[in-house]
Amino acid sequence: MYRSRNRPKRGGENEVKGPNSALTQFLREEGISAENIKQRWYQRQSKKKEDGKDEKNEGVEDDDVSLQVSQEKEIEEEEEVDAFESDSSSETGKAEISYNTRLELIAADTDEEEYEINSVSATPVSLSPAKNQESLAKKRQHTAKIIQNRRRKRKRAADLLDRRVNKVSTLQSLCIEKISDNISKWQKETGESSKLVFNRLRDVLGGVSTASLNDLAKTLSKNRALNDHTLQLFLKTDLTELTFSDCSRISFDGYKTLAIFSPHLTKLSLQMCGQLNNESLLYIAEKLFNLKALYLDGPFLINENTWEMFFTTMKDRLEEFHISNTHRFTDKSLCSLLVNCSSSLSSLGLARLDSVSNYALLPQYLVNDDFHTLCIEYPFNEEDVNDEIIINILGQVGRSLRKLVLNGCVELTDSMIINGLTAFMPEKCQLEVLSLEESDQITTDSLVYFFSKVELNKLTKCSFRRCLQLGDMAIIELLLNDAKDSLRSLGLNSLKELTREAFITLACPNLTYIDLGFVRCVDDSVIQLLGEQNPKLTVIDVFGDNLVTEKAKTRPGLTLIGRQSDSI
Amino acid sequence: MSQDQITLVSKENKEYEISRAAAMVSPTLKAMIEGAFKESKGRIELDQFDSPILEKVIGYLNYNFKYSSVDEDDIGDEEIPEFEIPTEMSLELLLAADYLSI
Repeated sequence: MYRSRNRPKRGGENEVKGPNSALTQFLREEGISAENIKQRWYQRQSKKKEDGKDEKNEGVEDDDVSLQVSQEKEIEEEEEVDAFESDSSSETGKAEISYNTRLELIAADTDEEEYEINSVSATPVSLSPAKNQESLAKKRQHTAKIIQNRRRKRKRAADLLDRRVNKVSTLQSLCIEKISDNISKWQKETGESSKLVFNRLRDVLGGVSTASLNDLAKTLSKNRALNDHTLQLFLKTDLTELTFSDCSRISFDGYKTLAIFSPHLTKLSLQMCGQLNNESLLYIAEKLFNLKALYLDGPFLINENTWEMFFTTMKDRLEEFHISNTHRFTDKSLCSLLVNCSSSLSSLGLARLDSVSNYALLPQYLVNDDFHTLCIEYPFNEEDVNDEIIINILGQVGRSLRKLVLNGCVELTDSMIINGLTAFMPEKCQLEVLSLEESDQITTDSLVYFFSKVELNKLTKCSFRRCLQLGDMAIIELLLNDAKDSLRSLGLNSLKELTREAFITLACPNLTYIDLGFVRCVDDSVIQLLGEQNPKLTVIDVFGDNLVTEKAKTRPGLTLIGRQSDSI
Repeated sequence: MSQDQITLVSKENKEYEISRAAAMVSPTLKAMIEGAFKESKGRIELDQFDSPILEKVIGYLNYNFKYSSVDEDDIGDEEIPEFEIPTEMSLELLLAADYLSI
């Protein structure tokens, strides 16, 4: 989530907190501020206009100029506060020439432009002392307005980066925010007796739908407020699916309580579960009789033996297992998973497992006819996941596959697409998600062949992020496929070979999101075209597309994220 | 029957008026208003809501209606103000919001 770097400090104004504050403090004490410097600049600008002709005739080159400049600067620093001193000595004039040339060099700065546009006309040329006060007050008012404008601009940019497209949040999210705030507050105040508070809370929350409860979990996770205390809100007997996106503060005891008090859980997702230990995992396996799906991220306390015991307990029961970010899940653990659970397993995810290299085990064990999801991401050694392995896996489960994610498997080549995907996917393919991110060896030709042979009429999400060799034809062929009507999300980040051609045909009735980051050919006209051709499109990512400017025309309801001109 | 104002009735039989357009913000109310039942006549009894909760809900519907339809540039100097929720009301309000899908 975006956090402003300029958040107000907790201490008072005079409290020096760090190197930045010290500098600010110094500048404040010395009376040096951007405002003063700006004022001086205006003054110079106006004077320059007056004296412009004289200076040109004067023959400015003088050995003493540099010396004069430094002298003048010293004088000016003493007079910072009084920005409206009117001094028309010829020396100043000379000094200003070099100063002005320097200023012209940095004139492109957007902030300066902002000042310039708004204020040049308002700057009085004659600067009599009587008018000074008046104009100063005017300036201040004007600056306040600019600051307010900037703040609003920054807030809008921050909201944009947080993908908060709706300006008005829902009442539910407002309430959940409030509740979460209060839970943390109560916790601090009540300490040990907090259990009573949560019992009461749970009674009231009893009528809330499961969806809202999962929203609450999301909000708590986002605020890093999910811990053993707040966990009690979720100890409901009828909850069947639960997702915690940040469990870093839940202790092993917390997991045990969860296992005891939510016996109906069938699907459990624990992300960042660093405190999940051997005992708790086995407890989960034993107490949650109905558990069929387990998604774990970062369970690095679980050792090899426990994995083996866990899979033995879950034998023929585990249908979905996704694991990521642990070095203790080894080849032996993978073997144990496959031996015990492969007959029931229909969804498998292995991501960033540094101790797994024997992916070649997979093909022989993945035999379930209903196997639908395979995610192999970022193997430790790229050679471990090669064409042969994926082709073999597809040979086994390609018919039923609905989701295939092979992000970061950079060893994969065209052979996998032609001899694997095209060969083993049925003509009317069930595939809903296809993600081949960072496979930079895959070329346009193989994908054109794949898209022309296989009918992908259920494909909703497709990502070729950083498949650097892909060109226009791959995208055009994808759009000639039936996938055109079903596609909702398309990732084309960093496909630098793409040209305008690819986007002319991009007209998908259901497309809501497209990532065009670092696709250099994308410009204002492409953005306008996409908006017109794709009625449901709501978000376009345009990070790094320097041809997309603030002049890009978008229809209402379509948001551009990452545009240079929106920068904070 | 089409009217510009909708009447919402709380548990205590207290009546609150709200413009039809603002009430339409809630999909639940929208379905009631457009449905073929007696609620479509413009009087909706929400007897599970206490008056203060209903008052707040109406406040939110008006707030949402007012600010979600205007473009940020049109507001000019004004920021969209925050919608205040009293702490003691938050849980009940969440239930109400859940019911009304707002």
